[in-house]
Amino acid sequence: MATFFRLVAAERLKLSKSYIWVLALLSPLLSLAIGILLSPDSIGVSSVQEKYMLLASSMASFHAMLFLPILTGILSAFVCRYEHVGGGWKQLLTLPVSRNHLYFAKFSIVAAVLALSQLLFLAAVYAAAAYHGFASDLPWSTLLTGVGSGWLACLPLAALQLLVSVSWSSFAAPLVINVMLTIPNMLIVNSEHIGPFYPWAQPMLAMLSFSVQDSGAFALPLENILITVLGSFALFLAAGLLYFNRKEI
Amino acid sequence: MKEWIIETKGLSKRYKGRYAVSNLNLKIEKGDIYGFLGPNGAGKTTTIRMLLGLIKPSNGSVHIFGQPLNKDKLSILRRIGSLVEYPSYYGHLSATDNLEAIRRILGAPVARIAEVLDIVGLSKEARRPVKGFSLGMKQRLGIASALLGNPELLLLDEPTNGLDPSGILEIRELIKQMPKQHGITVLISSHLLSEVELTAGTVGIIRQGELVFQDTIAHLHQQAQGSMSLVVSEPEQALAILRSHGAQAAQSGSALLLENTGDHTIARIVKSLVEHNHAIYRVEEKRKSLEELFLQIVGEGKLS
Repeated sequence: MATFFRLVAAERLKLSKSYIWVLALLSPLLSLAIGILLSPDSIGVSSVQEKYMLLASSMASFHAMLFLPILTGILSAFVCRYEHVGGGWKQLLTLPVSRNHLYFAKFSIVAAVLALSQLLFLAAVYAAAAYHGFASDLPWSTLLTGVGSGWLACLPLAALQLLVSVSWSSFAAPLVINVMLTIPNMLIVNSEHIGPFYPWAQPMLAMLSFSVQDSGAFALPLENILITVLGSFALFLAAGLLYFNRKEI
Repeated sequence: MKEWIIETKGLSKRYKGRYAVSNLNLKIEKGDIYGFLGPNGAGKTTTIRMLLGLIKPSNGSVHIFGQPLNKDKLSILRRIGSLVEYPSYYGHLSATDNLEAIRRILGAPVARIAEVLDIVGLSKEARRPVKGFSLGMKQRLGIASALLGNPELLLLDEPTNGLDPSGILEIRELIKQMPKQHGITVLISSHLLSEVELTAGTVGIIRQGELVFQDTIAHLHQQAQGSMSLVVSEPEQALAILRSHGAQAAQSGSALLLENTGDHTIARIVKSLVEHNHAIYRVEEKRKSLEELFLQIVGEGKLS
């Protein structure tokens, strides 16, 4: 395990000096703008619970439908890009590290930046609620579970994007694939048949299931989401590890 | 019994039916500098990548420090420093941060970074992002990374690529000191014999994936021994005298050429010529240069 943490420390250094993590700020800031511009009173929503639902679902739809899956792809591609460009794979793998540890270290860094983005989103929801004057009435446990499961739902995407990014030395190709698979979210989240099984839709489904507390239009039971998320995560991660261990450097 | 730091047996790598490296039996002694020579595309880098576990051999085995590479890879790699093909670097990081990223993985002391930067002469450039470095500076950084973990074995693949003449000289001196000062064994690959001629104790020459020569550089020098040339006043009569001494001689103009003749025979011939009142203008040894010999080996795959 010691070598794993050393690898993570090295990855942290490489990523922090690249300023790509600044992207993690972008979506929470835009979500904050959306949250502040909403005026619940003009729509005729009066109860605190309804105000929260409106606020959280508006902010989460933007953040989780497009931005979160795309950020996942960008981060995965980026942690591989600086290895592809400078011949870093070769150097890293002649150091005494196992390929599994290296793969998990890259994955952990992606997951950590995604977690940072989720925490900032949480802060944005709080700030928007404070602006509208009901910050003290936020249903914290619901909100935290939504943000947390949104993060979990990104992990299968991170595992898949890491696999694609490791195998392709191109930076753009994995991103294009990711965006192409993310755009259909707008339609798929509304589909009862495909929605529950489409990995790219899970972050949004997970986050919305908690903003809309009663089972509304596209709120799914948590169990469904977990099955899709865990299943695709196991599949993508296993494929990535298998591929990376056999790859000739 | 010699202690082999690297020993490969029947090492082969096949790509789509074609052998890039075939049946390689390398033996590298502790504390030696081993010059691994061959033209471009002969299989040097493929071999080094197999020695480092970056690719798996199709056949054969690799033992390093007496341990099998396929079983004890991580403990072996901990004791090796390497530079493969072209230097690896992170362009957005400074030289110091590049080394720090590796240091964190190796767990080496922080002070070691300044030490290795000083060894390769990059201390002044340490704070600049590496993407602005010249190829020679990146090469130095690569060597610094290889030295970072205090290795017992250095594998350097064409380490002087892209360096200017004074840089080549510096790196050569640096490599020469490794075995003496630190007891490090070095394998250094090159496509030029002159590159390793002055540093290596042993050379291995690879041609189309096969090892065609592996011996000490002194032995290679012996192979390069040439012919004697005598320039005399009356070559025809002198030739008869030479033949009477049993020497294999041939005339070319006023010069007589003798192949592979020992010191004693030369002395007898010269004495005899003087006694017969021949004027001897020149006695020269014409050596085949090592480079010519190397080109011959690489061209034909054998010694003449």
